Amino acid sequence: MDTLLGILHMLIFPGGIFALVIGFFFKGLDRRVEARLQRRVGPPLVQPWLDTAKLLTKETLIPKTACKEAFLLAPVVGFAGMAVCAAFIPVPGVFDGLYNMGDLLVLFYLLPIPAIAMMMGGSASSSPFGAVGFSREMIIMLAYETPLLMILLATAMLVGKSLNGGDWGAEFSLLKIVEWQEANGSLGFNPVMIPAFLAYLIFLPGTMGVAPFDIPEAETEVVEGPLLEYGGPLLALFHVGSALKTFVVLGLGVAMFFPGTICDFWLINLLWFLAKCLVLMLVSLTVVKSATGRYRIDQAFRFFVLVPTMLALCSLLLVWLM
Amino acid sequence: MSITTYTMPLGPVHVALEEPVYFNLTVEGENIKNVELTSGHVHRGMERLAMQRNLVKNVTLTERVCSLCSNSHSFTYCNVVENALNLEIPERAKYLRVMAEEIKRIASHLFNTAIQAHIAGFKSLFMHVMEVREIMQDVKETVYGNRMNLATNCIGGVKSDVDDELIEYILKQLDVIEPQLEELRDIFENNHIMLTRTKGLGLLPPEDAEALGVCGPVARGSGLRRDVRFDSPYAAYPNLEFDMIVEDGCCVHSRTMVRIRELFESMKLIRQCCERMPHGPVRAPMVQIPVTEAFAHTEAPRGEVAYYIRTNGSDTPARLKWRVPSYMNWKALGVMMRGCQIAEVALVLNSIDPCVSCTER
Repeated sequence: MDTLLGILHMLIFPGGIFALVIGFFFKGLDRRVEARLQRRVGPPLVQPWLDTAKLLTKETLIPKTACKEAFLLAPVVGFAGMAVCAAFIPVPGVFDGLYNMGDLLVLFYLLPIPAIAMMMGGSASSSPFGAVGFSREMIIMLAYETPLLMILLATAMLVGKSLNGGDWGAEFSLLKIVEWQEANGSLGFNPVMIPAFLAYLIFLPGTMGVAPFDIPEAETEVVEGPLLEYGGPLLALFHVGSALKTFVVLGLGVAMFFPGTICDFWLINLLWFLAKCLVLMLVSLTVVKSATGRYRIDQAFRFFVLVPTMLALCSLLLVWLM
Repeated sequence: MSITTYTMPLGPVHVALEEPVYFNLTVEGENIKNVELTSGHVHRGMERLAMQRNLVKNVTLTERVCSLCSNSHSFTYCNVVENALNLEIPERAKYLRVMAEEIKRIASHLFNTAIQAHIAGFKSLFMHVMEVREIMQDVKETVYGNRMNLATNCIGGVKSDVDDELIEYILKQLDVIEPQLEELRDIFENNHIMLTRTKGLGLLPPEDAEALGVCGPVARGSGLRRDVRFDSPYAAYPNLEFDMIVEDGCCVHSRTMVRIRELFESMKLIRQCCERMPHGPVRAPMVQIPVTEAFAHTEAPRGEVAYYIRTNGSDTPARLKWRVPSYMNWKALGVMMRGCQIAEVALVLNSIDPCVSCTER
């Protein structure tokens, strides 16, 4: 019964369909707001749905020299990884998240899956652009995973220590972290965690691959890189995976830093959660994207080592010393 | 080729390229080891065509060599024919020609600058520059009736006169565009991302620039004082005051800054033309065609455009030959791309403002 319930959570709420609807809505809004910031009209909000529907009607082409199995598997892996991931995100006051034990660690392992799928597809496509995209994706992934690990550790240690009455401890259950924040105030307002929150804001464009860190898929340099050889339903699956990822990383951010609820009614809480996700997206993705150009890969790596990693380290040390 | 290097094709169809050209890059990781360049995808045999049409029809043909510097081609062609015919054009026509040329220069430089932002992944800046450029496109459309090919030059002068109302309109539009250009200059001078991407990139030392004979903003970005408008003034340029913009950074950024600062000089020129233009006819009558040869050159947005003509007494030229700036600047790419990365190829290429359709014609 538990397994069945778990699968339902991954396929319907909050993973799968729900995350997809929200992810596509956010993506549509992101494009619309970006267009308005550039004084364009922009596409309608349903554009991601229309794009996907159009891609689904197209033929699946596989390059002759590609490694067929890996090429076909890559988008499926990316999509499945994110659908599972979404089920672990607790929506405060609505849903507690699947299996409340150490889910922060599980998330840390699951989050890089779309990037790995992208690398897999890029290298399997046998295109030189895919190969360059592969190496870039790898470098940028190493750059943003380090601060993410530190942010997660800092959060877990802070809550763990407090729950242990000041002794050493780490709490890797997202639900416990959310509950602790409801009792003790949001971590985003905690002075010790502010550097970590800033680091998370920089991590978001890195992991979502938008400017200034859209380097692996840079259109004018490597022509979409790993995605170059993909088309039709496979490409649509990559887009769907990316929409799910938008929901996952934003939801994780809200759960870790601002999980507060405003009332007991589930619908209001859900909308409140989504509103916070939306603000997070506008601040860290849309506005940043429209205000910057693209870094070169070595510049991006240096930036990630110097700024978000140091910010996250700062929080980690403060938590450790406290 | 060792195991660590591989070949990467760039072009002839590529998002970062406006026109078809094919690069065969030998790449090691992100670093470029060797660049091979192949072109010839848009050869249209225009010089041959020019020898089958009469002198008047060739004005229309040369205007279609290229889109962004279309006016420079018809301008230089008319100059060379007038030199051959020994035809002195009316004073007012000289000013009108300079005005058209400078309006085109502003639009062309802004286009190149916008594309640079696009290649650097800065979509908002691309939109911003193109929006500013639209003011100049409006001016072209209002004054000449076309957005790209102005079709204003003809042998002996210009086709369209500009009345007081239009002059007032042009001056008003210049006042509108000026603060916006100042804002753009500040952005390109100070924006962190644009600076990290373009400063110190694609170095062309002055010695190499001299040896390769580069021209236009590429030469001026490497500290060479080279501008046909100064070196051998033509049309109304001797009567107008403006400065030659020279930067000595030798990099992509200094070439961009040359273009952006030249916009202000062009505006100065247009304002002076509006002010000093004498009244009178705008077109001299055609004369008998002698057997002779002639040469003329002008400063197009990309550099020196040179035309040579040989006539045989008939109305069709015996030979019409032209040399475009991109042909000279092309060779400098080899120096500029030395040791650069994949991410930088398009930026370096764009910095010479290549005009493939001119070069291959």
